[in-house]
Amino acid sequence: MSEKILEHIGKGYDRKEAQEKVTGQAVYVHDMEVPGMLYAKVLLSPFAHAEIVSIDYSEAEKLKGVKAVVTGKEACQRVGLYMVDKNIMAGKKVRYQGEIVSAVVAESEAVAEEAVTLIKVEYKELPIVHNLDEALEAKVLVHENLHTYEHMKGVFFPKKDSNIASWNRTKKGDIKKGFEEADFIFEDEFSVPAVAHVPMETHVTIAQADPYSDKIKIWSSAQSPFAVRQLLAKSMGIAKGNVNVIVPYVGGGFGGKAGVHLEPLVSVLSKAVHGLPVKLKMTREEEFNILPTRAGMRARFKTGMTKEGKITAMEVYHDWDSGAYADYGVNVGKTAVYSGAGPYAVPNIELHSRTIYTNKVFSTAYRGFGHLETHWAVERHMDIMAQKLNIDPYELRMKNLLRPGDTTISGELIYPTTGDPVACLNAVKNELKWTGRKSQEDRKREMETGKVRGQGFAMLQKAPAMPSYTSTSAIMQMDEDGHVKVMLGAVDFGQGANTIMAQVAAEELRVPMKDVEVVWNVETDKHPYDWNTVASKYTFMGGNAVRKAARNMVQQMKEVAGQVLRCHTDELTHGDGYIYHVHQTHRRISYVKLSMGYAYENGNGIGGPLISHGVYMASGLSNPDPETGQGRPGLVWTFGAHGVDLEVDVETGEVNILKIVSAFDIGKVINKKLVDGQVYGGIVQGVGSALIEGYKFDGEAKLLNPYFGDNRIPSSKDIPDEVKAIYIEEPKTAQVDGPYGARGIGEHPMISVPSAIGNALYEALEINFHRLPLTPENVALAIDKHYNNDESK
Amino acid sequence: MLSKFDYVKPKTVEEAVAFLENNPGTRVLAGGTDLIVLLRRNLLITDHILDIKGIEGLHRLDYKEGKGLYIGAAVLVNEISEAPMIQDKYRALSQAAGSLASHQLRNRATLVGNICNASPGADLSTPLLVYNAVVHIEGPEGKRELGIEDFFTGVKKTALKKGEIVTGVSLPDVQEGDSSYYKKQARVKGHDLATVGISIRRTSEQETLMGMAAIAPTPIRLRELEKKLKNRDFNEETANWLKEEIKNHVKPISDVRASLEYRFLVSGALAKKIMMTLMEEGVK
Repeated sequence: MSEKILEHIGKGYDRKEAQEKVTGQAVYVHDMEVPGMLYAKVLLSPFAHAEIVSIDYSEAEKLKGVKAVVTGKEACQRVGLYMVDKNIMAGKKVRYQGEIVSAVVAESEAVAEEAVTLIKVEYKELPIVHNLDEALEAKVLVHENLHTYEHMKGVFFPKKDSNIASWNRTKKGDIKKGFEEADFIFEDEFSVPAVAHVPMETHVTIAQADPYSDKIKIWSSAQSPFAVRQLLAKSMGIAKGNVNVIVPYVGGGFGGKAGVHLEPLVSVLSKAVHGLPVKLKMTREEEFNILPTRAGMRARFKTGMTKEGKITAMEVYHDWDSGAYADYGVNVGKTAVYSGAGPYAVPNIELHSRTIYTNKVFSTAYRGFGHLETHWAVERHMDIMAQKLNIDPYELRMKNLLRPGDTTISGELIYPTTGDPVACLNAVKNELKWTGRKSQEDRKREMETGKVRGQGFAMLQKAPAMPSYTSTSAIMQMDEDGHVKVMLGAVDFGQGANTIMAQVAAEELRVPMKDVEVVWNVETDKHPYDWNTVASKYTFMGGNAVRKAARNMVQQMKEVAGQVLRCHTDELTHGDGYIYHVHQTHRRISYVKLSMGYAYENGNGIGGPLISHGVYMASGLSNPDPETGQGRPGLVWTFGAHGVDLEVDVETGEVNILKIVSAFDIGKVINKKLVDGQVYGGIVQGVGSALIEGYKFDGEAKLLNPYFGDNRIPSSKDIPDEVKAIYIEEPKTAQVDGPYGARGIGEHPMISVPSAIGNALYEALEINFHRLPLTPENVALAIDKHYNNDESK
Repeated sequence: MLSKFDYVKPKTVEEAVAFLENNPGTRVLAGGTDLIVLLRRNLLITDHILDIKGIEGLHRLDYKEGKGLYIGAAVLVNEISEAPMIQDKYRALSQAAGSLASHQLRNRATLVGNICNASPGADLSTPLLVYNAVVHIEGPEGKRELGIEDFFTGVKKTALKKGEIVTGVSLPDVQEGDSSYYKKQARVKGHDLATVGISIRRTSEQETLMGMAAIAPTPIRLRELEKKLKNRDFNEETANWLKEEIKNHVKPISDVRASLEYRFLVSGALAKKIMMTLMEEGVK
């Protein structure tokens, strides 16, 4: 049997859990009731920046059915992963409108909600840091003592007496020399607003904290049970083994459920009611107002170019408006150090990525992890430079794309098996039938009809952002009937990880898919470790771990079978539920007979139950150098490109996307249905960031749109008319150390959707947009300014 | 939701009116698509909710030649958008009904609820304005009728007095050759609140009626502009003129949904588009 013929890899299997979900049997934390359970509601700060002078909750406590009221005095533990800058609940001051200042536990949600209204808080308002510029002035500090906060040393760099949570740098080559070599220098500034993750299931946690010991049991809608365990244990000052985190089905995360969120607070609340279980679930309004967002961002690019269009130097500032806290935010900012200039060969670069505090709802991980933001800037900047150099934007990219032998901005060497951005761009260009910019005459003729079409494209890249020593593991056990159960530490929150892992196990064990079950309900007391379900890394890392576990199980079977069949294990192969001799195929033993150990006819037994495990640890990664950002942070890169064909109504400003074509050098498609799901969903989410979404704040930094009515996301009618996905599966550029050559794809589809749309809008209108979102309003006002006001002058 | 309210569901209008008179502050529930949102956000606290869906007469939806269209207070927005007779005779109303929120919400929401909520951007207000709809009201003092223009008195305010409810809305009959069109601009292509909503009607006598929403404190008729259109044919020149002229007749504000500048722009764009569409259909 040839190793090359794959039975399950590449097959479009349905999700393992599809039936349970569509029949409504799947249980989410939102559905769960635990015996004796109480309910919590929280009180939010009405001010963006204020001292808490006093809290009087005597009236709330008197209300019938109220069991406990907790304030920042009791819930004063610190919490954080990268930058420990947050208390479980606001302490002496509030730093954003929506920060939790108090919580009530009661017999019902209705009583808790009423009690919350009886809490009287006296505030002393403080001056507000509204935006990046005010933050950088540092006249008002969001965190007075940020330099004393615990953080990952040498990786993040908080600045004393400033609002800069971390200032990360890249220095490669000599930019002075590079700019001298340039024929032209181009400067641009771009920005994106904060946006919400909007998972269908809002954040929800049930906690049961035993008052007589350190034991805490958590049921949570979370992406990363082991990260919750680690961070919760750290906050509470208890051993990790005392915390059991259970994650059943999860209704979406998009990065918003990475790390730790409500879990420490609800644990404190359960302690306050002597260990009774307490449930806290966010309403949609609370989800928008309390829980973190994708950071707003401003990027400034200065690029030196030869007249032929080769980049000679770049100076870049990425400033992230992380809001009141930056625990995860600093790690988003860090990605710019190695990925913030796009998939281009830049010989000389100085890049600054600053994660900055303001008095707004704080930021965290979000699908794309900073790359949608940085690529909005890079890919629009590339297009604008092409315009100014009068070079086709396709050609300009071709001249500068990374190729094997080049190094990235952080000095990572590109191998042939790193992936092929050139192939992605060519695939998109061909599918789009791009032949160059349209003529002025054509544009004018179209303008008169009221609708103008435009095409544009953009590159994208991403590697997982994670600690250099990230690891994962899998455990596998065979039942008496040959059925295999796989235990993982990662969570399938909709991306399809469990189905992919079942395919890997089935492939290696050479059993039908129905004989493999990945166990849901990840529970840290029972399941093996995984760092965090984030970063589009699980197919790669988990796939490798499951593959190793399966191969180990086969090896165990061969060792027993070799004794029984009286041959060396090298002479054995497996398939169709048997271990058998490669030549004399009748010499065979079934998996079933080996599953619990083999029993000879006389009753002797050998071997034992088949249990195996596999681990995968990120290999060869290093932290970026603190001064220069040079290092090897990227475990596995996925390159891609989007092309957009759109039509814009020049009067209303409405953009209609006729077609999006997207190519990814994914290496190997393990399940096309699931990859398509990621791509279509990611593109629509990218369209949301491009055309629709954004937080709005008033002059007091109060969130103006904390509900769906005014915080819009795409509806089914906003889906592009046509989406064409192209997967590059070229063995020569596939990920040689990935499972069957596969790379991650989860986040990538949404990266650069806005840039491709912005570039297509330029092609349609000859207007360069620098800010997202490209709402009908923003587009129409720009058209009016460009064509009408200028004309009348 | 902090409100602790009693729920009553009367069988007759008389019962309803009597209850409202005796229980000031009672909120009327039809579809509830506005009311429940206010209750959930604790923006409204009430002791009584009176559900009118149990009153049989309020479900009446009919058209009588010569008399026109009658829409009872409990008639659902989907019933309106899906009625072939309304598509045929009162197209702008059908279009506006089809654009309100989502299909699921239209299965709950009512036209009368939409106008009683009196949002400046009420989707169903502008077709009612151009069809000179009459609002049928009953209260402690008996029945009365009010023109739709006089019904809206301010942001979220109507001419309803204490104890009164709207029992229905009627639209006079239309002649052969009468045509109308509704358009709205929203932030997304799917269901959304209107940034600007507009209905234009051209009668068989070539009289033009224009109603707009979300460009003033209440939905309004553009009577001055209508006068100016009196002696003009519907043609491309008029459409381009209208696009600019309309800006002199609207008084939009900036809010979280749109800036005043965009509302000016899009008022003109939508008005022009409607006129061009009607023209292409043969309206002169």
